[in-house]
Amino acid sequence: MDRARCANLVRDGLWDKNVVFSQLLAMCPTLAVTTSATNGLGMGLSTTAVLVLSNVLVSMIRKLVSPEVRIPIYVVLIATLVTLVDLSLNAWLHELYKVLGLFIALIVVNCAILGRAESFASQNTVAESAIDGLAMGLGFTASLVIIGGVRELVGGGTLFSGAHLLLGEPFRALEMTILPGYRGFLIAILPAGGFLVVGLLLAAKTQWERSRAERAARVDAVTA
Amino acid sequence: MSALDAIRARLLWQAGSLAVVAAVATAALLGASHATQADIEAAAARDLAESLAQVLPTGFANNDLLKDVVTVPGADGKPLTVWRARKDGKIVGVIYRVSGTGYAGAIRLVMAVDPDGRVLGVRVVEHHETPGLGDKIERSRTDWIEGFNGHSLGDPGVDRWAVKKDGGIYDQFTGATITPRGVVKAVRSGLELFAHERGHLISDEG
Amino acid sequence: MSSVLVHAPHAHSGAGVGGVMATVMLALAPATAFGFWAFGWPAIYLWTVTVLACVLTEAVCLKWRGQHALPRLADGSAILTGWLLAVSLPPWAPAWLGVVGAVAAIALGKQVFGGLGQNPFNPAMVGRVLLLIAFPVEMTTWVAPHPLGSSGAPDLWAAAGITLGGNGYDAVTSASLLGGFKTELTRGVEGASAIAHAFAPLSNGLAGMRAGSLGETSAGLLLLGGLFLLWRGVIGWQAPVGMLLGVLVPAAILHTTHPDTTLPVSAHLFGGGLLLGAFFIVTDYVSSPGTPAGRLVFGLGCGLLTFVIRNFAGYPEGVAFAVMLMNAMTPLIDRAIRPRVYGRDRRGRSLPPLGGDKK
Repeated sequence: MDRARCANLVRDGLWDKNVVFSQLLAMCPTLAVTTSATNGLGMGLSTTAVLVLSNVLVSMIRKLVSPEVRIPIYVVLIATLVTLVDLSLNAWLHELYKVLGLFIALIVVNCAILGRAESFASQNTVAESAIDGLAMGLGFTASLVIIGGVRELVGGGTLFSGAHLLLGEPFRALEMTILPGYRGFLIAILPAGGFLVVGLLLAAKTQWERSRAERAARVDAVTA
Repeated sequence: MSALDAIRARLLWQAGSLAVVAAVATAALLGASHATQADIEAAAARDLAESLAQVLPTGFANNDLLKDVVTVPGADGKPLTVWRARKDGKIVGVIYRVSGTGYAGAIRLVMAVDPDGRVLGVRVVEHHETPGLGDKIERSRTDWIEGFNGHSLGDPGVDRWAVKKDGGIYDQFTGATITPRGVVKAVRSGLELFAHERGHLISDEG
Repeated sequence: MSSVLVHAPHAHSGAGVGGVMATVMLALAPATAFGFWAFGWPAIYLWTVTVLACVLTEAVCLKWRGQHALPRLADGSAILTGWLLAVSLPPWAPAWLGVVGAVAAIALGKQVFGGLGQNPFNPAMVGRVLLLIAFPVEMTTWVAPHPLGSSGAPDLWAAAGITLGGNGYDAVTSASLLGGFKTELTRGVEGASAIAHAFAPLSNGLAGMRAGSLGETSAGLLLLGGLFLLWRGVIGWQAPVGMLLGVLVPAAILHTTHPDTTLPVSAHLFGGGLLLGAFFIVTDYVSSPGTPAGRLVFGLGCGLLTFVIRNFAGYPEGVAFAVMLMNAMTPLIDRAIRPRVYGRDRRGRSLPPLGGDKK
C-alpha cells in the first residue's frame, strides 16, 4: 500500500466520509451519549477499538465467506467481539468499565461498524482495513467530542467535565469551566438538543464546504 | 471462475461456514465468560461495598458489611436486604435501600440508621428527575441530602418531616417541589420501617 | 403543510396573507389588552420585546437566504408568531426569555424549513416548547393579576427591572390552577381539591382574573375573538370544536368517576390555554390539514392529547405539546383524508352529470 492510498483513507475517515457528518450513520449512539465531551470521547475510543478489530477480522476471512451468508457472519463476529470487550473490561479494568460500560453495549447497534465491514473490509487487504477502521473510528471520535463539547458548553458552561474518571487523574486539568456562573441552556443536554446541535453542525459543515467550492470555482475561472 | 469461487457458491459451504463461525463465537464467549466470572463478581461486590460505605461516616465501622446481612419484610411486602455495620463486633448502624416517587418516576436511595433511629447518611442511587432542577438531590451537585443526618422520627416532629412549603424543615428547590418532597417522604418511611423492625435488626440473634 | 396535489379549479377568496394575519391580530387584541391591564407594564414590555425579536429574526434569516426582507415582513406573519408566543409566556417573564423563544420560533420553527407555508410545526409552539423544556423555572413562575393603576402594580421603572430580569419577584409568585393542582396532588387529595374549589369559573375563568400566561386568562374575550374569526370566515369551526370536545368530553367523564383527583370541566376550559389554543393555535393554516374533515380529526387529536398530558403526564399543561405532536401527524391526516376532486366523489369515481342520468 503506497502513501497516497494511506493518506486518502485517513482523509476519508476524518472528513470526506466522516461517519457522523457525511454518512449520517450511527445516529443512535451519537445522539444518546453526547451529553458531554468526555462521554463523546469515551464512546468514540471504544468504538474505534471495536471497529479496527472487526475490520481486521472481516478482512482476514473475506475470501472464505460466501456473499450469500456474509451479513449473518459479520453480525455474529461483531456481536462476539463487543461482548468479549465488555466482559474483559468489566473483569480486569473495572474502573474504566464503570465509565464506559454504558457505551460498550451501545456499540452493537452502531451500524457504522457493520457498514465498514460490508463496504470496505470485505473487499480490501488486512492492512488497508485496519487503517480504514482506525481513521473512521477517529473521525467518529472527533465528531462525538465536538458534538458533546458544544452540548456541554451550551447546556452547562463546562468542557470535559468528568475527564479524570475516563482518562485518569492527570487529565483532571482538561476539565474546564468556560462560563462560570452560567445558568445553562438546559435543552442542549436533553435529547431534543442533541438533534438541534447535530443539525446545526451539519449545516455549518455543508455551508463551509459549499463556500470553499465556490471560492475554488472562482479561482479556476480567473486562472482559466 | 476460480476453485475458491466454486466452493463458495455451494450451499454446504455456506451453511458450514456459518455454523463454524457460530461455533467459534460461542466457544469464545463461553471461554471468556468462564474466565471473567470470578473477577466480575468480585468487582460487583466491591462496587456494592463502596456504595454502602458512602452512607457511613468514615471509620465508623470495621466489619465486612457484605457478610453481615439480614432480611426483613420491606414496605412493599417484598423482602428487604439490610446490611449491618459493626465497630469491634457491636452493631453501630444498619444500611438498607428505600425508594420514593419523584417528578419522573422512582427515586432509589440507600440510607444508614444508627441503633437509636437517627439517620447516619442518605445517598441517591438512581433517579430520573429533570437535569438542573430535581437532580440537586445528588450529593455530587449539592449537599442538600446531608440535611437528613442526625435526624430521627422524633426530631424533627412528625409534621416537620416535610419540605418548607408544606410546613416542614427541609428546603425545596426553586421550581422543583415534588422531587425533594418524594425524598423526604422516602427517608421518613425508611425510619418508620426501622422503628417497626428495630428489635429484629439490631439484635445479634437475627 | 399539505403535500397532496389538489386539482383545479381553485377559487380565490380575494384575501391575501396580510389581510388574514391582520384579522387574526384584531381578534387577538382584546384578550391581549386585558392581559396588559391585568398584569401591567412587565407584560407590555415582554410582549413588545418578543414581537420585535421575531420580526428582527425574520429579517436576518431572510437576508441570509438572499431574499428581500421588506415585502415578506409586510405580510405580518412574523408579528403574529411573536404575538402568539408572547401571550403564551408567563406575563412577568424576563425579556431574554421572549428573545430566546422568538429566535427559536422563527429560525428553527419556520425559516429552517423554507419560511412561511413550509413549516411543519406551529412556530410559536416550537418557541414555547423549547423554552418550557430549557427553562422550566422561568416558564412556570406565575403571578396573580396586578391590574394597572392598582396599589400593588409595578410602575414603569419597577416593571423594567422585572422585565430585564435579575429583579427577583418571588414575593408575589402565585401558582397557576393546573400547576398548583398537580403539585398538591402529590401531597394528598385535600390540598388539591381546595385549589379546585377555590377556582371560580366566572370571575377567575370567564373574566380572567387568575394567574396564567399573558393572554390566556380572559376566556370571555378569547371566545369573542374566536367567534369574530368564525364570522369573518377566517377559520372553520372544525379544528376549534374538535379540540374543545377532545378535552372536555373525556375530562367530564373522568371527573364523574374520580371527582377528588381530577379537575372539573370548567377548570379545563377556563383554567389553562385551551381557548387560546382552540381558536388561535390549531387554526393555523400552514401546520394543520388541508380538508375540513381533516381539521376536525386534527382538532380532536390536539384535544385528546392535551387531556392526556394534563391528567396523566408530568407537565400540568399540554396544549403546546399536543399541537406539536398533531402537527407531526398532519401529513398523515392529509394522506388519509384527501380533498375531493372536482366532478368526482371522495373515492375518485366521477359524479353523474346533472340531470343527465336518463339515457
